[in-house]
Amino acid sequence: MKFLCIPCDEQMETQTGGIMPEEKKNLAMKFKCKKCGHSIAMLTNKFETEFVSKLGVQMGDSAAETKAAPMGVVAGALAEGKEELKKSAPKDDDFEWTDEAKERIQRVPFFVRNMAKKTVLSFARERGITVIDGKLMDEVREKVGM
Amino acid sequence: MKTYDDLAGDGGSNIVGQVQALGEKLRSRLDRIKHKIALMSGKGGVGKSSLTANVAACLVDRGHTVGILDADLNGPSICHLLGLTHTQKLVIDENGVQPGTGAHGIKLMSMDMLLSSPDSPIMWTDEPEANATWVSTMESTALRELIADTQWGDLDFLLIDMPPGSDRIDNIRGLIPELAGVVEITIPSPLSQHIVTKSITKNNKMKVPIIGLVENMAGYTCPHCDKEGPLFEGEDVHELAMKKNIPYLGKIPFDPRIGQRTDSGSLYYMEHKGSVTGKAIGSVVDQILKAI
Repeated sequence: MKFLCIPCDEQMETQTGGIMPEEKKNLAMKFKCKKCGHSIAMLTNKFETEFVSKLGVQMGDSAAETKAAPMGVVAGALAEGKEELKKSAPKDDDFEWTDEAKERIQRVPFFVRNMAKKTVLSFARERGITVIDGKLMDEVREKVGM
Repeated sequence: MKTYDDLAGDGGSNIVGQVQALGEKLRSRLDRIKHKIALMSGKGGVGKSSLTANVAACLVDRGHTVGILDADLNGPSICHLLGLTHTQKLVIDENGVQPGTGAHGIKLMSMDMLLSSPDSPIMWTDEPEANATWVSTMESTALRELIADTQWGDLDFLLIDMPPGSDRIDNIRGLIPELAGVVEITIPSPLSQHIVTKSITKNNKMKVPIIGLVENMAGYTCPHCDKEGPLFEGEDVHELAMKKNIPYLGKIPFDPRIGQRTDSGSLYYMEHKGSVTGKAIGSVVDQILKAI
């Protein structure tokens, strides 16, 4: 799917900063025209969100930066998966993720999980926080929304 | 106004690049496996999984390294057959998931290894009403992850235990284009042959190589005296193979012990390779090895 800014006849770009989607819920993806700066949001319902999330591809430029966790889609989608599977995803030497935070980031739709992770890490880095927990994730959502 | 093809890229996500990368990852795993063979049947209950496990045991007995992919996502049984319990931890690192090691050193990957308890169902979401929209997509992706994210290492054979039906072969064919072929399995009953015929026809139309047809549960062998008796009324399976112009790989008499592990954790073939059924499995494996 591509988005075109009609007045500028230019392709709009995915905006990856500051996105912290709700877990397994409706989702907003931001796109911006780099010529005129106009932004739009693509809103998906939970069915569409889940469907895209099952394809195994990620949205945004962070997709290329981050190596997907093994069994990443299965881990996020399996309702009664093993604990090891649920907690396998985030790994960053500079940060410690609590079990709760690991589970919660796994519940974020697969295709925006890296974006969400990037947002949480950037939020924590700015504040000198090294332990990512559920409280911090709530705070991120409250501050950055989407 | 520009159209879809006028716009280069996709706004930053590089979906095409990601799909290529997924393909490369899959390839890097599969390149280390010499032969990939799917064991399938259009019909359920014909003994696919038990036969797959025992074919694997026979290959190990002949000095090969073997892995089994349990592609029956919703009815996995290979862990049970190979003696892998739920208490075994899943070992995951950034390079992937370690396969389980079952009886006789057979490597395996199955949905059962990913579930929290033996009676956990395969449910893809806590919101069942959303299921119908994407369950098929999810299963395709899960199958890709089971193959590509498992650290199979170097193997001589990867046997793929297919679910009943013929729909999953589309996925497998797409994921493993170099598939050595499929082994079709039927029992002698007319109903089973009727359904397996459809599966053979589909594979022929899709140009999936068929290694041959196995007649499973072809009569009953008494475990005490090795005498054979009929088990199902049915037409000649050999004739079906001839009609569909595929090799007939042989008949395997039913032995109630075939789906069980022995007390020592061995598979049937290892313990009873000299029995009528054991010899029949060995003969089928000979035919498979000749064909690939």
